[in-house]
Amino acid sequence: MEQTRGAGQDGGWFPYWTRRFVVFAVLWWVLAEGRFDAWWLGLVGVALATWGSMRLLPAGRHGVSLAPTLRFLAFFVWNSLRGGVQVAAMALRPRPDLAPALIEIDLSHLPPGTARVLMLNTLGLMPGTLGVRLEESRLRLHVLDARLPVVAEARELEAHIARLFGGRP
Amino acid sequence: MIELAGNLLLLIGAFFYFAGTVGLVRFPDVYTRLHALAKADNLGLGCVLAGLALQADSLAAALKLLLIWPLALAASAAVSYAIANRAQALGVRPWQGEERS
Repeated sequence: MEQTRGAGQDGGWFPYWTRRFVVFAVLWWVLAEGRFDAWWLGLVGVALATWGSMRLLPAGRHGVSLAPTLRFLAFFVWNSLRGGVQVAAMALRPRPDLAPALIEIDLSHLPPGTARVLMLNTLGLMPGTLGVRLEESRLRLHVLDARLPVVAEARELEAHIARLFGGRP
Repeated sequence: MIELAGNLLLLIGAFFYFAGTVGLVRFPDVYTRLHALAKADNLGLGCVLAGLALQADSLAAALKLLLIWPLALAASAAVSYAIANRAQALGVRPWQGEERS
């Protein structure tokens, strides 16, 4: 079996699938709001979810390490907060005073696929930017106010995502 | 004390929903309206969910409420992109300033 060869490599003392099994089990516990009356159904669901996840995303190719993930999450939460506050202030001030523009940025530093899609979707929640079109490595953005330093902020986000996927920043 | 913090978060969440809706009404075109909806409403949702989680009966129920946030964020980000992308494909030009009104 091609897919099971990599299992166990990455998991230290435990086979790799046990980690996902634990994650899905916690998820079931959360969804059932801590009740255990239907634990057998949960067990079936957790087993199926683990099996499906190992089939769809085999171990090894996408190891995301903890520290960059936490840094990315902190950056994301802080900036989506800023984005929400900024757009709320623009909406409520007497004259919205927007200076919208379309800009294009180059994403060729990020690997194609998940990393670029994550970048696109995260930018939609950052201050002042909204993804309009992603084609190969060109990303077209709509910006609410071209006078704000949106490109610099997009580059900062790109560096976070590059670290997340193990590339150079 | 926790009850109070929860209520405060609910009020802040309601404020951001209000601001997002005001933006939806006041902003000039589809792209700028998407900015208002995606960003302000997601912050509103985050605050409302955090407020409800603080008042939840159990840890599992609180985590379940908090789990809604990333799921809604992912859906909202993807939907904003889809709408903006389609608008552009249909040739909707972004509003460029005061020339029209």
